[in-house]
Amino acid sequence: MRIEAEARFDHPPRPMAQRVGAILWPSFFAAGVATMVFFAFVDPLLLRDLAFPEFEISRGVGYTLGFFMFWACTAGSSLFTWILLRPASRFNKPLAKE
Amino acid sequence: MAGKIPVELVEEVGLYVSERKIYPREQDGRFQRLRKAAVIWLLGMYYAFAWLQWDDRQAVLFDLPARKFYVFGLSFWPQDFFYLALLLIIAGMTLFFFTALAGRIWCGYACPQTVWTEVFIWMERWTEGDRNKRMKLDAGPWNRERIQRKAAKHALWLVFALWTGFTFVGYFTPIRDLAARLSPFEWSGWEVFWVLFYSLATWGNAGVLREQVCKYMCPYARFQSAMFDRNTLIIAYDPMRGEPRGARRKNQLASVLERARGLLGMDVATSAVVHAAQHRSAADLKMGARATTGLVVDAQSGLPPPPVVVSPEDLGDCIDCTICVQVCPTGIDIRNGLQYECIACGACVDACDSVMDRMGYPRGLIRNTTQNALEGKPSKILRPRIWVYGIALLCLVLGSALGIATRTPLLVDAMRDRNALYRVAQDGSIENAYMLRIVNKDMNPHVFSIRIEGAPGISLVESGATHPAAAEEVLTVPLTLVAPAGLAKGRMDVRFVVSTEDGKIEVKEETRFFGPF
Repeated sequence: MRIEAEARFDHPPRPMAQRVGAILWPSFFAAGVATMVFFAFVDPLLLRDLAFPEFEISRGVGYTLGFFMFWACTAGSSLFTWILLRPASRFNKPLAKE
Repeated sequence: MAGKIPVELVEEVGLYVSERKIYPREQDGRFQRLRKAAVIWLLGMYYAFAWLQWDDRQAVLFDLPARKFYVFGLSFWPQDFFYLALLLIIAGMTLFFFTALAGRIWCGYACPQTVWTEVFIWMERWTEGDRNKRMKLDAGPWNRERIQRKAAKHALWLVFALWTGFTFVGYFTPIRDLAARLSPFEWSGWEVFWVLFYSLATWGNAGVLREQVCKYMCPYARFQSAMFDRNTLIIAYDPMRGEPRGARRKNQLASVLERARGLLGMDVATSAVVHAAQHRSAADLKMGARATTGLVVDAQSGLPPPPVVVSPEDLGDCIDCTICVQVCPTGIDIRNGLQYECIACGACVDACDSVMDRMGYPRGLIRNTTQNALEGKPSKILRPRIWVYGIALLCLVLGSALGIATRTPLLVDAMRDRNALYRVAQDGSIENAYMLRIVNKDMNPHVFSIRIEGAPGISLVESGATHPAAAEEVLTVPLTLVAPAGLAKGRMDVRFVVSTEDGKIEVKEETRFFGPF
């Protein structure tokens, strides 16, 4: 006869602010670092001339666009990590009663 | 009767220990034959398409150095990147549509991960034997037989993985040329690297990680339920018919469908499932299937007490043989309810059907059905979700096909001379210099002429010139626009018009002309 050990600990869901913070804050930080390093070597005006000569984009706008693009990427990555680390039972909820 | 009961503590899969290895049992049946056909069809396409020729080039070739993609009769340039984005959206929408309609057929039948895993498992079976033999082999000592069998398996895997990596690189550098340079060996360093890298990825994903990719790395497994509703096809165990589960002698009992007990109510059946999962039988425990459904993990409220089995007459049709668990490539117990780990391959359906046949029971205790049908309600196929996904998909496909069919085989880019905004000539006229890039994407040569429009008074210095371009040639033409003194002030918009001599192909490119402010 075999007796099953106690079921493993399934952590209850964390508060929303904690979840959102854990996704947005590290990605914000990473995006900031990436933006600094990237624009230390690349002038946004040069990029504009290469890619969008028809738009008037100032340096400030270029930095802003760059930062939010980096943040979108890093936040997407953090979100993906969060989804993969959620316990299986969160995805296997019983069907709601009709 | 008396005597010590041998007790052994079974550790659930611990938090930090690696997963228990899954030894899927081989199973024949409708779904498995369909699956085999899908594997052969899809992998056949992968390995064969690289060798097909179209005119005098490879039919499917992603020529990165030349920045050109060839897909049979079509060629795509970097400027057609838009269609790649459309293709990805179409692929996503197709996934949504088929998921809503037929559940996770992608996972079981088309996903490269499961398709390659299946082939690797075939090779494992050829070399190491069936499920029981493999388990025994792994539990046993490293003797001669084990070493030989493992070596044979890895040799087969290695050859197959290398062939896969070679084919992969063959889509980026012409495969016939790559094969010809194999002996004597003249591959470049990057070709060697990518062949080995893709081989390693194939070996690792299909040989080692297998179902763990689906369970822990796949995003689709986690969000597919958003496309599910009660009318989606799922692999489902019928608890109303199967519960309470239990062993019985062959020919001792007829199916519940043929005797007085009949089906349980859904509430009682669900309660029986929860009870069974929390008080697993010895056979069931030995399988070590992880229970992850909320139904059996979370506390349930409002369920009636589970049915009590007093006589065999009270049993349902599930004989608790656990074969449905043994055949499962992801190692789950489908009887615990729908779970994201299920890849809908249907192995448990085939397994259960064969058991039902042996017991003389009607098939379908585990079947491919909808939640509504399972509960005895009518299923509705054409529902708003299907219409929305279907119409969006249709529009995207038609739009892309139309867009690709009506592409102009000519591309023009105008770049201003970046050194000077304008030049003032001796007579006071204003000159602007440009570089015009003319890309003849056509498979035929053309002769192009250039004129300007949109700015009266400004003229093109090289207006009479013609520019012959061979098939797929890129021309770079320096041009000068000139405006008489006093005409050009500040910024003016002009258009270059590039056309073939017969005027059938014409492209306009907007640019700017600057004069003194």
